[in-house]
Amino acid sequence: MQHKTLTFITRQAPYGNNKAKLVMDAALAAAVFEQQINFLFMDDGVFQLIQNQNAEFILSKTTSRALETLELYGIEQVLVDAASLQERHIAADDLSIPVRVLKAEEVRQLTANSDVVINL
Amino acid sequence: MSALHTISGSPSSGLLDSCLKLICPGDGILLIQDGVYYGCPPYLLNCVSRDYAIFALREDLLARGVLSKLAERIDTVGYRRFVELTIDYDKVISWS
Repeated sequence: MQHKTLTFITRQAPYGNNKAKLVMDAALAAAVFEQQINFLFMDDGVFQLIQNQNAEFILSKTTSRALETLELYGIEQVLVDAASLQERHIAADDLSIPVRVLKAEEVRQLTANSDVVINL
Repeated sequence: MSALHTISGSPSSGLLDSCLKLICPGDGILLIQDGVYYGCPPYLLNCVSRDYAIFALREDLLARGVLSKLAERIDTVGYRRFVELTIDYDKVISWS
């Protein structure tokens, strides 16, 4: 099969709507087909990374646990936009999974070098 | 007549800016759902005069892991107090 580079950009906070889950499901599905996957947290999407979430308080499922499945599915490029973290006063210690922090120029290159960009 | 403004979208929704166009002395603001993210980088609420009480729903803060990051001026409330607030203010204006 032809290998393509797919970049998934997740820009929504968890729980308020289901877009964060949609991006995650799409990325995991793509990973099954052994494509090169980049998974980028940007804008409000960085709120998904905050540790100590507990959605039982709102009778929902804690989505931060699903983030751990990215690695299980072989998605190694888990990335976050530095500016989005900074704007929201979120520090590296606040995050629940290891992610690589990208500067603005690196983010631009990431999408420029991708065959497909899925952005929700 | 006083109003309780409930804000249920994250800061990128711009709902607070819209709310501030209508808010009047004596009104209060209650952050719920993704609206609680307005309380996290504390500077976001600097544009809200100290004359207005700001509340945030504790369950939504806990679910999102942001209770410990909350701006000091915000009162956290549970569902019971939420209901009381809707009664204490004359009306509720919902921003979503």
